[in-house]
Amino acid sequence: MGPPLQPNQCGSRLGAPPSLPAECGGVACKPGLRVGMAVAAAIACRLLRLRAAGAGGHWRRLRGAGLPRGFLQPASAGEDAAQWRRVAHFTFQPDPEPLEYGQTQKMNLFQAVTSALDNSLAKDPTAVIFGEDVAFGGVFRCTVGLRDKYGKDRVFNTPLCEQGIVGFGIGIAVTGATAIAEIQFADYIFPAFDQIVNEAAKYRYRSGDLFNCGSLTIRAPWGCVGHGAVYHSQSPEAFFAHCPGIKVVVPRSPFQAKGLLLSCIEDKNPCIFFEPKILYRAAVEQVPVEPYNIPLSQAEVIQEGSDVTLVAWGTQVHVIREVASMAQEKLGVSCEVIDLRTIIPWDVDTVCKSVIKTGRLLVSHEAPLTGGFASEISSTVQQLEDTGDVEEIRGWKPHCISAGRMFPEPRGSYIKSMWVRHTISPRF
Amino acid sequence: MAVVTAAARVLGSSRGLGQDGLLLLRRLGVRGLAISHPQRQQQRFSSLDDKPQFPGASAEFIDKLEFIQPNVISGIPIYRVMDRQGQIINPSEDPNLPQEKVLKFYKSMTLLNTMDRILYESQRQGRISFYMTNYGEEGTHVGSAAALDNTDLVFGQYREAGVLMYRDYPLELFMAQCYGNVSDLGKGRQMPVHYGCKERHFVTISSPLATQIPQGEDAHPGPAVGAAYAAKRANANRVVICYFGEGAASEGDAHAGFNFAATLECPIIFFCRNNGYAISTPTSEQYRGDGIAARGPGYGIMSIRVDGNDVFAVYNATKEARRRAVAENQPFLIEAMTYRIGHHSTSDDSSAYRSVDEVNYWDKQDHPISRLRHYLQSRGWWDDEQEKDWRKQSRKKVMEAFEQAERKPKPNFSLLFSDVYQEMPAQLRKQQESLARHLQTYGEHYPLDHFEK
Repeated sequence: MGPPLQPNQCGSRLGAPPSLPAECGGVACKPGLRVGMAVAAAIACRLLRLRAAGAGGHWRRLRGAGLPRGFLQPASAGEDAAQWRRVAHFTFQPDPEPLEYGQTQKMNLFQAVTSALDNSLAKDPTAVIFGEDVAFGGVFRCTVGLRDKYGKDRVFNTPLCEQGIVGFGIGIAVTGATAIAEIQFADYIFPAFDQIVNEAAKYRYRSGDLFNCGSLTIRAPWGCVGHGAVYHSQSPEAFFAHCPGIKVVVPRSPFQAKGLLLSCIEDKNPCIFFEPKILYRAAVEQVPVEPYNIPLSQAEVIQEGSDVTLVAWGTQVHVIREVASMAQEKLGVSCEVIDLRTIIPWDVDTVCKSVIKTGRLLVSHEAPLTGGFASEISSTVQQLEDTGDVEEIRGWKPHCISAGRMFPEPRGSYIKSMWVRHTISPRF
Repeated sequence: MAVVTAAARVLGSSRGLGQDGLLLLRRLGVRGLAISHPQRQQQRFSSLDDKPQFPGASAEFIDKLEFIQPNVISGIPIYRVMDRQGQIINPSEDPNLPQEKVLKFYKSMTLLNTMDRILYESQRQGRISFYMTNYGEEGTHVGSAAALDNTDLVFGQYREAGVLMYRDYPLELFMAQCYGNVSDLGKGRQMPVHYGCKERHFVTISSPLATQIPQGEDAHPGPAVGAAYAAKRANANRVVICYFGEGAASEGDAHAGFNFAATLECPIIFFCRNNGYAISTPTSEQYRGDGIAARGPGYGIMSIRVDGNDVFAVYNATKEARRRAVAENQPFLIEAMTYRIGHHSTSDDSSAYRSVDEVNYWDKQDHPISRLRHYLQSRGWWDDEQEKDWRKQSRKKVMEAFEQAERKPKPNFSLLFSDVYQEMPAQLRKQQESLARHLQTYGEHYPLDHFEK
């Protein structure tokens, strides 16, 4: 378990319960605070109460809604400093051993990633892995042994330049070879943002499918780790969610990581695979040795429930799992827990079906609240209440195209902003 | 030492030495070889030696404080074969190409010029939305394209239509892309001049500048480098060429591309069209060093500066660069000096920032097309009669293609949604259906007649 999070480290605005300092939002800041209790208060989320579909508009109320004031007091305020540094804000919950993929081996998350990369390089002779420091094994040990096994022309270091790494990867993918690029920390992905958004995501579309870079996968360590501070803890998935043409995936465990990463590598669209760095060592479970795939754009209901739907991805899945069991125990609330897994294109159906059943939605993520991906989920779910017309008012998802000029705003029509109409502005 | 250096130059220039030969020369302490080899980092360490042991550079000590002066007064010399009147200066540099090939050069350049005039006018008349001409730079396109194999992958910026013209891209498809009609391979999605052709190995142009350089694409050189690396791994005997202007060379992506190409030993030609202007920004505001060619050695890249208006100089340099890039797996940088005679685009009026006299000088005194014509005429391969005929013929061809392109409808609107991903996700399908429904009700407000049903 890593050291506790510093105030604001997760970047999420946490509803501070009365007993804890406002700025730290109660996430394991106080020594000895019992993790579960901190978690209940610390979720960055929107709690939506929707009319249960088909239930004639009856509101369901949380039982025990008035939480006792002392509910969140630190359990043992006197624990020493050395001990509280080891307390993480969650406990990793391994899934049961998968039986359908053959022999398994105990792996942590980075070993599961290595295994996926090993499988890929073995199967696909065009596949190459590159990035900063990948040759000696990577700063998180994800590529240990691969250079020796597959050669220095297939596993190699690049200069320190993220825009170059991604651009280079796009070029490899354009020729049809498989490119697996590593960005050392998701916090450093921003120099490559132009390449990802303006090039990778639009390659197929802008060329009318003459060219594409579908065989590109970008991997990056993601999310808070306890001591990472501003530039080793970020969760930038929301920036990329706004970009059609790429896929963004976040696993919660070693087993999920290997299967999802293999799917990303084999997917015919450029993918970004964010690996929760706090789970690299902390998450250990049985993972199949042979390759296997977990489908993209499919959320997983990891626990069924009836009163509220909890959605998260990556590390936070484990947090909300604990919340679910606490809610059951303390409040008698039955939670349905969903791991979203793919951020875009996301599994709207699974989430909406669940909310239709439970009538309530809570989305939790480490990333900042405003513009975070929870907004997208909650507004989409909100539309369930409305008719199809509402859906039409939102902007089209595809890229702005030149020919979009052909569809000017309908004159006299009450529906505004129907089309995405910006011509790509040239460099005038 | 001098003998060895000279030997290296001779050997290096006549035939690809191969890695072993170059490695040998490196061990002998030959300077001036641009390949950056991993072994240079691992010199034997001896603490008794007074020689520098730093892993970061291979150099001698000096005890005099001296800054290296960048040389911009007398910069890297400009290689040329013909003078401004189209006469060969040094016969040994004449590539002695057959008549047919040189005529193809001439016809490609002039056909491009004719197409540029007509399409520029058509934008002025509101028939297409936008256009960029290639006036004055035809030599850079055709000279380089002719020196490549047809399967060499081309990543352009946006002013390289002559490369496609040389590769026989039909006028119909140039027009289709500018009109965004049903025949456009790009499905009408991009602004005019954003051509692409898989068959002719010309990667689709994109607007963001320099992004092709790491890839190998529109002013983004990185992807070009990636493509070159993949070609190397595949033993494809293929070079990647990446075109960009001197303005795009200021982008971070250019730096990234150069550095990656050199460290990863990629068979790529970086072809910079230095035409004096990036829209309105003259080179004096774009850089302070000796142009782009001077940057190459900083990355360990073999570099040359050529007269871009001399199609044979461009041809010779590209040919040699191609041969060596493939043989030696190293990048080459060619800076082709030229002049942008036209405006940046139809959205620009360059009289706002440069004098008409300046433009006229280049148009009249140093134009790639007229220089080649003088060469052809002095060889007896061309005359005024043929010139008149060809002008009429090329104009007719362009007009026909143009009229046909104008008559064709635009692609069906449902193509707004395809190719975002390889497969269409549910949300996009819903949006596509939503648009169809909207048009059923409000179709009268849209110019649906112009679109294919």
